[in-house]
Amino acid sequence: MNQIVLKEDVMNANPAQKVKLAVSGICKTFRIRNANGQQSSFLPVLRDVGFDVYENEVVSLIGESGCGKTTLLRTIQGLIRHDSGTIKVDGQEVKSAGRDRGFVFQQPSLLPWRTARENVEFGLELQGMAAGERAERARKLLALVGLGHAAEQFPHQLSGGMQQRIGLARALAIDPTILLMDEPFSALDAQTREVLQKELLRIQAQTRKTILFVTHDLDEAIYLSHRIIVLAAKPGRVKEVITLPFAGERPELPVMRGDPEFQAIRAHIWDLIRSAPANS
Amino acid sequence: MTSNTLIGGAVAADDLIEDLEPGAPVKRYWLVRLVSIVAVLAIWEVAGRQVNPLFMAYPSDIVHAAYRMIASGELLAAFLDSMKTLTLGFILACVAGVALGLLIGRYRYVDAATDWLVNALYATPLVAITPLVILWFGLGFPAKLFIVFILAVFPVLINTASGVRNVASQLIDVGTAFAATERQIFGKIILPAALPFMMTGIRLGIGRAIIGMVVAEFFTAINGLGALIIKYGNQFETAAMFVPILCLMLMGVVYTTIALRFEHWVAPWRFTDDE
Ligand SMILES: Nc1ncnc2c1ncn2[C@@H]1O[C@H](COP(=O)(O)OP(=O)(O)OP(=O)(O)O)[C@@H](O)[C@H]1O
Ligand SMILES: [Mg+2]
Repeated sequence: MNQIVLKEDVMNANPAQKVKLAVSGICKTFRIRNANGQQSSFLPVLRDVGFDVYENEVVSLIGESGCGKTTLLRTIQGLIRHDSGTIKVDGQEVKSAGRDRGFVFQQPSLLPWRTARENVEFGLELQGMAAGERAERARKLLALVGLGHAAEQFPHQLSGGMQQRIGLARALAIDPTILLMDEPFSALDAQTREVLQKELLRIQAQTRKTILFVTHDLDEAIYLSHRIIVLAAKPGRVKEVITLPFAGERPELPVMRGDPEFQAIRAHIWDLIRSAPANS
Repeated sequence: MTSNTLIGGAVAADDLIEDLEPGAPVKRYWLVRLVSIVAVLAIWEVAGRQVNPLFMAYPSDIVHAAYRMIASGELLAAFLDSMKTLTLGFILACVAGVALGLLIGRYRYVDAATDWLVNALYATPLVAITPLVILWFGLGFPAKLFIVFILAVFPVLINTASGVRNVASQLIDVGTAFAATERQIFGKIILPAALPFMMTGIRLGIGRAIIGMVVAEFFTAINGLGALIIKYGNQFETAAMFVPILCLMLMGVVYTTIALRFEHWVAPWRFTDDE
Protein backbone atom coordinates (compact mmCIF):
# COMPACT_ATOMS: atom_id res chain seq x y z
CA MET A 1 0.00 0.00 0.00
CA ASN A 2 2.88 2.30 0.73
CA GLN A 3 4.51 1.38 -2.49
CA ILE A 4 4.90 4.22 -4.94
CA VAL A 5 4.14 3.51 -8.54
CA LEU A 6 6.78 5.08 -10.71
CA LYS A 7 6.42 5.64 -14.39
CA GLU A 8 8.68 7.31 -16.88
CA ASP A 9 6.26 9.96 -17.98
CA VAL A 10 2.57 9.77 -17.35
CA MET A 11 1.58 12.13 -20.10
CA ASN A 12 3.82 10.63 -22.74
CA ALA A 13 2.61 7.21 -21.73
CA ASN A 14 -0.84 8.25 -22.83
CA PRO A 15 -0.53 10.11 -26.14
CA ALA A 16 -4.29 10.02 -26.68
CA GLN A 17 -4.64 12.89 -24.18
CA LYS A 18 -6.80 15.63 -25.50
CA VAL A 19 -5.87 19.28 -24.93
CA LYS A 20 -8.57 20.79 -22.72
CA LEU A 21 -7.18 24.24 -22.07
CA ALA A 22 -4.72 25.88 -24.41
CA VAL A 23 -3.08 29.08 -23.24
CA SER A 24 -0.70 30.81 -25.60
CA GLY A 25 1.20 34.06 -25.80
CA ILE A 26 -0.56 35.73 -22.86
CA CYS A 27 0.81 39.18 -22.06
CA LYS A 28 -0.56 41.45 -19.40
CA THR A 29 0.73 44.83 -18.26
CA PHE A 30 -0.90 46.73 -15.43
CA ARG A 31 -0.93 50.47 -15.48
CA ILE A 32 -0.14 51.83 -12.05
CA ARG A 33 -1.63 55.21 -11.21
CA ASN A 34 -0.03 57.50 -8.69
CA ALA A 35 -1.93 58.68 -5.66
CA ASN A 36 -2.78 61.90 -7.48
CA GLY A 37 -3.98 59.85 -10.47
CA GLN A 38 -1.72 61.81 -12.80
CA GLN A 39 1.43 60.06 -13.87
CA SER A 40 1.28 56.37 -14.53
CA SER A 41 3.88 53.69 -14.78
CA PHE A 42 3.58 50.28 -16.36
CA LEU A 43 4.06 46.97 -14.64
CA PRO A 44 4.52 44.01 -16.97
CA VAL A 45 3.15 41.05 -15.05
CA LEU A 46 2.81 38.31 -17.66
CA ARG A 47 4.96 37.92 -20.75
CA ASP A 48 4.24 35.37 -23.43
CA VAL A 49 2.82 32.75 -21.10
CA GLY A 50 1.77 29.58 -22.86
CA PHE A 51 0.95 26.01 -21.87
CA ASP A 52 -1.58 23.26 -22.45
CA VAL A 53 -3.64 21.40 -19.91
CA TYR A 54 -4.94 17.99 -20.91
CA GLU A 55 -8.30 16.48 -20.18
CA ASN A 56 -8.64 15.04 -16.65
CA GLU A 57 -5.27 16.40 -15.74
CA VAL A 58 -4.32 18.28 -12.60
CA VAL A 59 -1.74 20.97 -13.27
CA SER A 60 -0.23 23.22 -10.63
CA LEU A 61 1.09 26.70 -11.20
CA ILE A 62 3.86 27.53 -8.82
CA GLY A 63 6.17 30.53 -8.48
CA GLU A 64 7.31 33.14 -6.03
CA SER A 65 4.86 35.60 -4.54
CA GLY A 66 3.89 38.35 -6.94
CA CYS A 67 4.98 36.49 -10.08
CA GLY A 68 1.50 36.72 -11.57
CA LYS A 69 -0.17 33.42 -10.72
CA THR A 70 -3.42 34.99 -9.62
CA THR A 71 -3.36 37.37 -12.58
CA LEU A 72 -2.90 34.44 -14.96
CA LEU A 73 -5.73 32.44 -13.43
CA ARG A 74 -8.08 35.43 -13.39
CA THR A 75 -7.19 36.09 -17.01
CA ILE A 76 -8.14 32.54 -17.94
CA GLN A 77 -11.45 32.92 -16.07
CA GLY A 78 -12.15 36.20 -17.86
CA LEU A 79 -12.00 38.35 -14.72
CA ILE A 80 -9.09 40.34 -16.20
CA ARG A 81 -8.66 41.26 -19.83
CA HIS A 82 -5.26 40.33 -21.24
CA ASP A 83 -3.32 42.50 -23.67
CA SER A 84 -2.52 39.77 -26.15
CA GLY A 85 -2.55 36.01 -26.54
CA THR A 86 -5.33 33.47 -26.73
CA ILE A 87 -7.12 31.18 -24.32
CA LYS A 88 -8.89 28.20 -25.80
CA VAL A 89 -11.16 25.70 -24.13
CA ASP A 90 -11.75 22.59 -26.24
CA GLY A 91 -10.26 24.44 -29.20
CA GLN A 92 -12.71 27.36 -28.91
CA GLU A 93 -11.35 30.75 -27.96
CA VAL A 94 -12.94 32.21 -24.80
CA LYS A 95 -13.00 35.89 -23.92
CA SER A 96 -15.18 36.10 -20.83
CA ALA A 97 -16.42 33.92 -17.99
CA GLY A 98 -18.50 30.93 -18.98
CA ARG A 99 -19.93 27.80 -17.48
CA ASP A 100 -17.11 25.73 -18.95
CA ARG A 101 -14.81 27.10 -16.23
CA GLY A 102 -15.47 27.04 -12.50
CA PHE A 103 -13.44 29.28 -10.20
CA VAL A 104 -12.48 28.66 -6.58
CA PHE A 105 -11.20 31.81 -4.90
CA GLN A 106 -8.35 32.11 -2.44
CA GLN A 107 -10.79 33.61 0.08
CA PRO A 108 -14.02 31.57 0.15
CA SER A 109 -15.94 34.68 -1.07
CA LEU A 110 -19.33 33.28 -0.15
CA LEU A 111 -22.36 35.54 -0.20
CA PRO A 112 -22.99 36.03 3.53
CA TRP A 113 -26.77 36.43 3.16
CA ARG A 114 -27.13 33.02 1.56
CA THR A 115 -27.10 29.65 3.25
CA ALA A 116 -24.52 27.08 2.21
CA ARG A 117 -27.04 25.52 -0.15
CA GLU A 118 -28.08 28.84 -1.65
CA ASN A 119 -24.43 29.72 -2.19
CA VAL A 120 -23.88 26.49 -4.07
CA GLU A 121 -26.99 27.24 -6.12
CA PHE A 122 -25.69 30.67 -7.13
CA GLY A 123 -24.33 29.76 -10.56
CA LEU A 124 -27.35 27.61 -11.36
CA GLU A 125 -29.71 30.38 -10.35
CA LEU A 126 -27.94 32.74 -12.75
CA GLN A 127 -28.55 30.21 -15.51
CA GLY A 128 -32.24 30.19 -14.66
CA MET A 129 -32.53 26.62 -13.39
CA ALA A 130 -35.76 25.85 -11.54
CA ALA A 131 -35.59 26.13 -7.75
CA GLY A 132 -36.37 22.50 -6.98
CA GLU A 133 -33.87 21.15 -9.44
CA ARG A 134 -31.04 23.35 -8.29
CA ALA A 135 -31.71 22.66 -4.61
CA GLU A 136 -31.42 18.97 -5.31
CA ARG A 137 -28.21 19.50 -7.25
CA ALA A 138 -26.78 21.69 -4.49
CA ARG A 139 -27.55 19.06 -1.85
CA LYS A 140 -25.75 16.40 -3.87
CA LEU A 141 -22.69 18.62 -4.22
CA LEU A 142 -22.68 19.53 -0.56
CA ALA A 143 -22.74 15.83 0.20
CA LEU A 144 -19.84 15.35 -2.21
CA VAL A 145 -17.70 17.86 -0.31
CA GLY A 146 -18.80 16.33 2.99
CA LEU A 147 -21.15 19.10 4.10
CA GLY A 148 -24.55 17.50 3.62
CA HIS A 149 -25.43 18.34 7.23
CA ALA A 150 -24.64 22.07 6.94
CA ALA A 151 -26.82 22.90 3.93
CA GLU A 152 -29.05 25.38 5.74
CA GLN A 153 -26.34 27.14 7.72
CA PHE A 154 -24.96 30.57 6.91
CA PRO A 155 -21.27 31.10 6.08
CA HIS A 156 -20.59 33.00 9.32
CA GLN A 157 -21.69 29.92 11.23
CA LEU A 158 -19.14 27.71 9.47
CA SER A 159 -15.39 27.24 9.81
CA GLY A 160 -12.89 28.43 7.21
CA GLY A 161 -12.39 24.89 5.93
CA MET A 162 -16.13 24.36 5.58
CA GLN A 163 -16.47 27.67 3.74
CA GLN A 164 -13.73 26.68 1.33
CA ARG A 165 -15.53 23.38 0.65
CA ILE A 166 -18.69 25.34 -0.16
CA GLY A 167 -16.65 27.45 -2.55
CA LEU A 168 -15.54 24.25 -4.24
CA ALA A 169 -19.10 22.89 -4.36
CA ARG A 170 -20.29 26.19 -5.83
CA ALA A 171 -17.73 25.93 -8.62
CA LEU A 172 -18.61 22.28 -9.25
CA ALA A 173 -22.34 23.03 -9.31
CA ILE A 174 -22.31 24.59 -12.77
CA ASP A 175 -20.62 21.39 -13.96
CA PRO A 176 -17.62 23.06 -15.55
CA THR A 177 -15.14 20.95 -17.46
CA ILE A 178 -12.24 22.91 -15.98
CA LEU A 179 -11.73 23.96 -12.38
CA LEU A 180 -9.49 26.96 -11.76
CA MET A 181 -8.36 27.11 -8.16
CA ASP A 182 -6.38 30.00 -6.70
CA GLU A 183 -4.51 28.85 -3.61
CA PRO A 184 -7.79 27.50 -2.24
CA PHE A 185 -6.24 25.92 0.83
CA SER A 186 -3.54 28.42 1.69
CA ALA A 187 -5.56 30.18 4.38
CA LEU A 188 -6.25 26.94 6.24
CA ASP A 189 -4.36 25.18 9.00
CA ALA A 190 -2.10 22.26 8.12
CA GLN A 191 -4.49 19.49 9.17
CA THR A 192 -7.52 20.91 7.39
CA ARG A 193 -5.41 21.54 4.34
CA GLU A 194 -4.26 17.94 4.22
CA VAL A 195 -7.82 16.68 4.58
CA LEU A 196 -9.03 18.93 1.77
CA GLN A 197 -6.14 17.95 -0.50
CA LYS A 198 -7.18 14.34 -0.14
CA GLU A 199 -10.80 15.30 -0.71
CA LEU A 200 -9.85 17.16 -3.87
CA LEU A 201 -8.06 14.12 -5.26
CA ARG A 202 -11.09 11.99 -4.44
CA ILE A 203 -13.47 14.47 -6.04
CA GLN A 204 -11.25 14.77 -9.08
CA ALA A 205 -11.20 11.01 -9.48
CA GLN A 206 -14.98 10.95 -9.13
CA THR A 207 -15.86 13.88 -11.39
CA ARG A 208 -12.97 13.64 -13.87
CA LYS A 209 -12.51 17.41 -13.90
CA THR A 210 -9.51 19.10 -15.43
CA ILE A 211 -7.91 21.22 -12.73
CA LEU A 212 -5.52 24.15 -12.90
CA PHE A 213 -4.36 24.80 -9.40
CA VAL A 214 -2.33 27.74 -8.11
CA THR A 215 -0.27 27.18 -5.02
CA HIS A 216 2.94 28.26 -3.38
CA ASP A 217 3.17 25.06 -1.38
CA LEU A 218 5.62 22.69 -3.10
CA ASP A 219 4.39 19.58 -1.30
CA GLU A 220 0.83 20.39 -2.23
CA ALA A 221 1.79 20.87 -5.88
CA ILE A 222 3.71 17.61 -6.05
CA TYR A 223 1.03 15.69 -4.16
CA LEU A 224 -1.90 16.88 -6.24
CA SER A 225 -0.63 17.30 -9.76
CA HIS A 226 0.29 15.37 -12.82
CA ARG A 227 2.40 18.27 -13.98
CA ILE A 228 3.79 21.41 -12.40
CA ILE A 229 4.34 24.65 -14.26
CA VAL A 230 7.03 26.74 -12.62
CA LEU A 231 6.69 30.46 -13.33
CA ALA A 232 9.56 32.92 -13.28
CA ALA A 233 8.89 36.40 -11.95
CA LYS A 234 9.09 39.96 -13.23
CA PRO A 235 7.55 39.53 -15.66
CA GLY A 236 5.83 36.19 -15.12
CA ARG A 237 6.69 33.58 -17.72
CA VAL A 238 6.86 29.80 -17.90
CA LYS A 239 10.22 28.70 -16.62
CA GLU A 240 9.87 24.95 -16.67
CA VAL A 241 7.18 22.34 -16.92
CA ILE A 242 7.78 19.30 -14.74
CA THR A 243 5.99 16.06 -15.36
CA LEU A 244 5.63 14.08 -12.17
CA PRO A 245 6.40 10.40 -12.21
CA PHE A 246 3.62 9.46 -9.79
CA ALA A 247 0.48 8.01 -11.28
CA GLY A 248 -2.71 6.35 -10.20
CA GLU A 249 -3.32 5.87 -6.48
CA ARG A 250 -1.07 8.14 -4.48
CA PRO A 251 0.02 7.33 -0.98
CA GLU A 252 -0.73 9.87 1.71
CA LEU A 253 1.34 13.01 1.67
CA PRO A 254 3.36 12.19 4.81
CA VAL A 255 4.32 8.87 3.25
CA MET A 256 5.16 10.52 -0.03
CA ARG A 257 7.44 12.96 1.69
CA GLY A 258 9.69 10.07 2.64
CA ASP A 259 10.12 9.00 -0.96
CA PRO A 260 13.57 9.90 -2.35
CA GLU A 261 12.10 10.74 -5.74
CA PHE A 262 9.65 13.13 -4.13
CA GLN A 263 12.52 14.78 -2.32
CA ALA A 264 14.59 15.05 -5.48
CA ILE A 265 11.75 16.73 -7.35
CA ARG A 266 11.05 19.01 -4.45
CA ALA A 267 14.69 20.10 -4.31
CA HIS A 268 14.72 20.68 -8.04
CA ILE A 269 11.62 22.92 -8.01
CA TRP A 270 12.91 24.73 -4.97
CA ASP A 271 16.10 25.55 -6.84
CA LEU A 272 14.11 26.76 -9.83
CA ILE A 273 12.01 29.11 -7.75
CA ARG A 274 14.93 30.37 -5.70
CA SER A 275 17.10 31.10 -8.70
CA ALA A 276 14.29 33.01 -10.39
CA PRO A 277 15.23 36.55 -9.30
CA ALA A 278 18.83 36.11 -10.42
CA ASN A 279 17.66 35.22 -13.92
CA SER A 280 15.54 38.27 -14.45
CA MET B 1 -30.32 41.63 25.79
CA THR B 2 -29.01 44.32 23.49
CA SER B 3 -32.26 46.16 22.99
CA ASN B 4 -31.11 49.39 24.58
CA THR B 5 -27.65 49.51 23.08
CA LEU B 6 -28.09 51.59 19.99
CA ILE B 7 -24.71 51.44 18.30
CA GLY B 8 -23.70 48.43 16.22
CA GLY B 9 -20.16 48.24 17.53
CA ALA B 10 -21.28 48.43 21.11
CA VAL B 11 -23.71 45.61 20.52
CA ALA B 12 -20.98 43.34 19.23
CA ALA B 13 -18.74 44.13 22.18
CA ASP B 14 -21.58 43.63 24.61
CA ASP B 15 -22.42 40.25 23.14
CA LEU B 16 -18.82 39.21 23.23
CA ILE B 17 -18.58 39.89 26.92
CA GLU B 18 -21.80 38.06 27.56
CA ASP B 19 -20.65 35.09 25.53
CA LEU B 20 -17.57 34.81 27.72
CA GLU B 21 -19.63 34.59 30.89
CA PRO B 22 -23.00 33.13 29.94
CA GLY B 23 -26.07 32.73 32.14
CA ALA B 24 -26.24 34.68 35.37
CA PRO B 25 -24.37 37.88 34.40
CA VAL B 26 -27.10 38.87 31.91
CA LYS B 27 -29.63 38.87 34.74
CA ARG B 28 -27.22 40.76 36.91
CA TYR B 29 -26.90 43.52 34.29
CA TRP B 30 -30.66 43.88 34.24
CA LEU B 31 -30.77 44.12 37.99
CA VAL B 32 -28.15 46.89 37.93
CA ARG B 33 -30.16 48.68 35.28
CA LEU B 34 -33.38 48.41 37.28
CA VAL B 35 -31.74 49.68 40.45
CA SER B 36 -30.27 52.62 38.56
CA ILE B 37 -33.68 53.51 37.06
CA VAL B 38 -35.41 53.38 40.43
CA ALA B 39 -32.64 55.42 42.04
CA VAL B 40 -32.78 58.15 39.41
CA LEU B 41 -36.58 58.38 39.65
CA ALA B 42 -36.40 58.56 43.45
CA ILE B 43 -33.77 61.30 43.44
CA TRP B 44 -35.78 63.20 40.83
CA GLU B 45 -38.94 62.89 42.90
CA VAL B 46 -37.26 64.12 46.07
CA ALA B 47 -35.17 66.86 44.47
CA GLY B 48 -37.97 67.95 42.13
CA ARG B 49 -40.25 68.73 45.08
CA GLN B 50 -37.69 71.19 46.47
CA VAL B 51 -37.65 73.26 43.28
CA ASN B 52 -40.15 75.91 42.22
CA PRO B 53 -42.76 73.93 40.12
CA LEU B 54 -42.32 76.54 37.41
CA PHE B 55 -38.85 75.25 36.59
CA MET B 56 -39.08 71.56 37.27
CA ALA B 57 -41.65 68.84 37.63
CA TYR B 58 -41.28 65.57 39.49
CA PRO B 59 -42.37 62.07 38.42
CA SER B 60 -45.58 61.68 40.42
CA ASP B 61 -46.70 65.14 39.26
CA ILE B 62 -46.00 64.18 35.65
CA VAL B 63 -47.99 60.98 36.04
CA HIS B 64 -50.94 63.00 37.32
CA ALA B 65 -50.69 65.40 34.39
CA ALA B 66 -50.45 62.49 31.96
CA TYR B 67 -53.58 60.94 33.47
CA ARG B 68 -55.49 64.21 33.00
CA MET B 69 -54.30 64.62 29.42
CA ILE B 70 -55.12 61.03 28.49
CA ALA B 71 -58.58 61.32 30.04
CA SER B 72 -59.35 64.48 28.07
CA GLY B 73 -58.20 62.79 24.83
CA GLU B 74 -55.78 65.64 24.22
CA LEU B 75 -52.65 63.52 24.38
CA LEU B 76 -53.93 60.81 22.05
CA ALA B 77 -55.03 63.37 19.45
CA ALA B 78 -51.67 65.09 19.53
CA PHE B 79 -49.85 61.77 19.45
CA LEU B 80 -51.80 60.51 16.43
CA ASP B 81 -51.28 63.77 14.63
CA SER B 82 -47.53 63.62 15.21
CA MET B 83 -47.41 59.98 14.19
CA LYS B 84 -49.16 60.79 10.95
CA THR B 85 -46.58 63.42 10.02
CA LEU B 86 -43.67 61.31 11.17
CA THR B 87 -44.70 58.04 9.56
CA LEU B 88 -45.67 59.45 6.20
CA GLY B 89 -42.67 61.79 5.96
CA PHE B 90 -40.35 59.04 7.04
CA ILE B 91 -41.68 56.48 4.58
CA LEU B 92 -41.34 58.98 1.75
CA ALA B 93 -37.78 59.74 2.89
CA CYS B 94 -36.88 56.03 2.94
CA VAL B 95 -38.29 55.38 -0.53
CA ALA B 96 -36.64 58.43 -2.08
CA GLY B 97 -33.41 57.97 -0.12
CA VAL B 98 -32.99 54.34 -1.11
CA ALA B 99 -33.84 54.96 -4.78
CA LEU B 100 -31.54 57.97 -5.13
CA GLY B 101 -28.85 56.31 -3.05
CA LEU B 102 -28.81 53.29 -5.34
CA LEU B 103 -28.45 55.50 -8.41
CA ILE B 104 -25.76 57.68 -6.85
CA GLY B 105 -23.80 54.74 -5.49
CA ARG B 106 -24.01 52.84 -8.76
CA TYR B 107 -23.40 55.48 -11.41
CA ARG B 108 -20.33 57.68 -11.20
CA TYR B 109 -21.96 60.38 -13.33
CA VAL B 110 -25.02 60.69 -11.14
CA ASP B 111 -22.66 60.87 -8.18
CA ALA B 112 -20.53 63.59 -9.74
CA ALA B 113 -23.63 65.57 -10.67
CA THR B 114 -25.13 65.45 -7.19
CA ASP B 115 -22.47 64.83 -4.55
CA TRP B 116 -21.74 68.52 -3.87
CA LEU B 117 -25.42 69.21 -3.34
CA VAL B 118 -26.01 66.14 -1.20
CA ASN B 119 -22.97 66.85 0.97
CA ALA B 120 -23.85 70.52 1.36
CA LEU B 121 -27.44 69.77 2.31
CA TYR B 122 -26.45 66.96 4.65
CA ALA B 123 -24.00 69.24 6.44
CA THR B 124 -26.53 72.09 6.74
CA PRO B 125 -28.67 72.00 9.88
CA LEU B 126 -31.80 71.84 7.79
CA VAL B 127 -34.10 72.90 10.59
CA ALA B 128 -32.72 76.34 9.71
CA ILE B 129 -34.89 76.43 6.60
CA THR B 130 -38.10 75.78 8.54
CA PRO B 131 -39.33 79.41 8.29
CA LEU B 132 -38.78 79.27 4.55
CA VAL B 133 -40.66 75.99 4.25
CA ILE B 134 -43.56 77.57 6.13
CA LEU B 135 -43.54 80.44 3.68
CA TRP B 136 -43.78 77.92 0.85
CA PHE B 137 -46.31 75.49 2.25
CA GLY B 138 -48.15 77.45 4.93
CA LEU B 139 -48.73 76.26 8.50
CA GLY B 140 -50.49 73.01 7.63
CA PHE B 141 -49.61 69.37 7.19
CA PRO B 142 -47.56 69.72 3.94
CA ALA B 143 -44.97 71.98 5.62
CA LYS B 144 -44.47 69.50 8.46
CA LEU B 145 -44.29 66.60 6.05
CA PHE B 146 -41.66 68.37 3.99
CA ILE B 147 -39.46 69.15 6.99
CA VAL B 148 -39.58 65.56 8.25
CA PHE B 149 -38.80 64.33 4.76
CA ILE B 150 -35.90 66.68 4.09
CA LEU B 151 -34.28 65.90 7.43
CA ALA B 152 -34.62 62.12 7.19
CA VAL B 153 -33.82 61.62 3.53
CA PHE B 154 -30.09 62.39 3.61
CA PRO B 155 -28.87 59.80 6.10
CA VAL B 156 -30.82 57.15 4.18
CA LEU B 157 -29.49 58.35 0.83
CA ILE B 158 -25.87 58.72 1.91
CA ASN B 159 -25.72 55.36 3.67
CA THR B 160 -27.38 53.56 0.78
CA ALA B 161 -24.95 55.10 -1.70
CA SER B 162 -21.92 54.21 0.39
CA GLY B 163 -23.31 50.70 0.85
CA VAL B 164 -23.49 50.28 -2.91
CA ARG B 165 -20.02 51.77 -3.38
CA ASN B 166 -18.44 49.59 -0.71
CA VAL B 167 -19.62 46.19 -1.85
CA ALA B 168 -16.51 44.02 -1.56
CA SER B 169 -14.88 43.60 -4.95
CA GLN B 170 -14.46 39.89 -4.14
CA LEU B 171 -18.24 39.52 -4.15
CA ILE B 172 -18.55 41.32 -7.48
CA ASP B 173 -15.83 38.99 -8.78
CA VAL B 174 -17.95 36.02 -7.78
CA GLY B 175 -20.74 37.36 -9.97
CA THR B 176 -18.41 38.00 -12.88
CA ALA B 177 -16.72 34.60 -12.52
CA PHE B 178 -20.10 32.88 -12.72
CA ALA B 179 -20.99 34.86 -15.85
CA ALA B 180 -23.68 37.00 -14.22
CA THR B 181 -25.21 39.78 -16.30
CA GLU B 182 -25.03 43.39 -15.08
CA ARG B 183 -28.61 43.15 -13.85
CA GLN B 184 -27.93 39.93 -11.98
CA ILE B 185 -24.88 41.44 -10.31
CA PHE B 186 -26.97 44.40 -9.22
CA GLY B 187 -29.93 42.36 -8.02
CA LYS B 188 -28.20 39.37 -6.49
CA ILE B 189 -25.00 40.90 -5.14
CA ILE B 190 -24.97 44.69 -4.84
CA LEU B 191 -28.49 45.09 -3.50
CA PRO B 192 -28.32 42.47 -0.75
CA ALA B 193 -24.79 43.55 0.16
CA ALA B 194 -25.91 47.17 0.54
CA LEU B 195 -29.05 46.29 2.50
CA PRO B 196 -27.42 46.52 5.95
CA PHE B 197 -26.09 49.99 5.09
CA MET B 198 -29.57 51.03 4.03
CA MET B 199 -30.92 49.83 7.35
CA THR B 200 -28.27 51.82 9.21
CA GLY B 201 -29.26 54.91 7.22
CA ILE B 202 -32.90 54.27 8.01
CA ARG B 203 -32.12 53.96 11.71
CA LEU B 204 -30.16 57.22 11.70
CA GLY B 205 -32.94 58.82 9.68
CA ILE B 206 -35.51 58.11 12.40
CA GLY B 207 -33.78 60.34 14.94
CA ARG B 208 -33.63 63.19 12.48
CA ALA B 209 -37.22 62.65 11.38
CA ILE B 210 -38.41 63.04 14.98
CA ILE B 211 -36.36 66.23 15.38
CA GLY B 212 -37.85 67.56 12.15
CA MET B 213 -41.36 66.74 13.32
CA VAL B 214 -40.97 68.52 16.66
CA VAL B 215 -39.36 71.61 15.17
CA ALA B 216 -42.08 71.84 12.54
CA GLU B 217 -44.76 71.55 15.21
CA PHE B 218 -43.03 74.22 17.29
CA PHE B 219 -43.20 76.60 14.39
CA THR B 220 -46.71 75.84 13.26
CA ALA B 221 -47.87 75.36 16.87
CA ILE B 222 -51.31 74.10 15.87
CA ASN B 223 -51.33 70.42 16.66
CA GLY B 224 -49.11 67.47 17.47
CA LEU B 225 -46.86 66.78 20.45
CA GLY B 226 -44.60 69.74 19.63
CA ALA B 227 -47.56 72.12 19.77
CA LEU B 228 -48.57 70.60 23.10
CA ILE B 229 -45.11 71.33 24.50
CA ILE B 230 -45.35 74.96 23.36
CA LYS B 231 -48.87 75.29 24.75
CA TYR B 232 -48.05 74.02 28.26
CA GLY B 233 -44.72 75.81 28.22
CA ASN B 234 -46.52 79.10 27.60
CA GLN B 235 -48.98 78.29 30.37
CA PHE B 236 -46.11 77.48 32.77
CA GLU B 237 -47.55 74.02 33.39
CA THR B 238 -44.23 72.27 33.55
CA ALA B 239 -45.51 68.84 34.56
CA ALA B 240 -47.94 68.78 31.63
CA MET B 241 -45.15 69.91 29.35
CA PHE B 242 -43.07 66.91 30.34
CA VAL B 243 -45.76 64.47 29.18
CA PRO B 244 -45.34 65.06 25.41
CA ILE B 245 -41.56 65.20 25.90
CA LEU B 246 -41.62 61.73 27.44
CA CYS B 247 -43.90 60.58 24.61
CA LEU B 248 -41.28 61.75 22.11
CA MET B 249 -38.58 59.94 24.00
CA LEU B 250 -40.62 56.75 23.98
CA MET B 251 -41.28 57.15 20.27
CA GLY B 252 -37.56 57.51 19.54
CA VAL B 253 -36.61 54.51 21.64
CA VAL B 254 -39.32 52.27 20.19
CA TYR B 255 -38.59 53.19 16.59
CA THR B 256 -34.84 52.92 16.95
CA THR B 257 -35.11 49.57 18.68
CA ILE B 258 -37.34 48.24 15.93
CA ALA B 259 -34.90 49.49 13.30
CA LEU B 260 -31.98 47.92 15.13
CA ARG B 261 -33.80 44.59 15.39
CA PHE B 262 -34.48 44.82 11.69
CA GLU B 263 -30.82 45.52 11.02
CA HIS B 264 -29.87 42.35 12.88
CA TRP B 265 -32.49 40.44 11.01
CA VAL B 266 -31.43 41.46 7.50
CA ALA B 267 -27.71 41.05 8.18
CA PRO B 268 -27.10 38.54 10.97
CA TRP B 269 -23.52 38.01 9.77
CA ARG B 270 -22.54 41.53 10.79
CA PHE B 271 -23.25 40.81 14.43
CA THR B 272 -22.07 38.06 16.71
CA ASP B 273 -24.57 35.28 17.29
CA ASP B 274 -27.12 35.74 20.04
CA GLU B 275 -27.36 32.03 20.76
N1 LIG C 1 -5.23 45.25 -10.41
C1 LIG C 1 -3.90 45.43 -10.38
N2 LIG C 1 -3.35 46.63 -10.65
C2 LIG C 1 -2.03 46.80 -10.63
N3 LIG C 1 -1.14 45.84 -10.34
C3 LIG C 1 -1.61 44.62 -10.04
C4 LIG C 1 -3.01 44.34 -10.05
N4 LIG C 1 -3.18 43.04 -9.73
C5 LIG C 1 -1.95 42.54 -9.51
N5 LIG C 1 -0.99 43.47 -9.72
C6 LIG C 1 0.46 43.27 -9.63
O1 LIG C 1 0.79 42.18 -10.43
C7 LIG C 1 1.78 41.37 -9.83
C8 LIG C 1 1.31 39.95 -9.78
O2 LIG C 1 0.24 39.83 -8.88
P1 LIG C 1 -0.49 38.45 -8.61
O3 LIG C 1 -1.56 38.70 -7.63
O4 LIG C 1 -0.88 37.83 -9.90
O5 LIG C 1 0.67 37.60 -7.94
P2 LIG C 1 0.65 36.13 -7.36
O6 LIG C 1 1.64 35.35 -8.14
O7 LIG C 1 -0.72 35.61 -7.32
O8 LIG C 1 1.22 36.36 -5.91
P3 LIG C 1 0.82 35.60 -4.54
O9 LIG C 1 1.54 34.30 -4.56
O10 LIG C 1 1.38 36.51 -3.50
O11 LIG C 1 -0.65 35.48 -4.49
C9 LIG C 1 2.07 41.98 -8.48
O12 LIG C 1 3.26 42.71 -8.57
C10 LIG C 1 0.90 42.90 -8.24
O13 LIG C 1 1.33 44.03 -7.54
MG1 LIG D 1 -2.16 35.16 -5.75
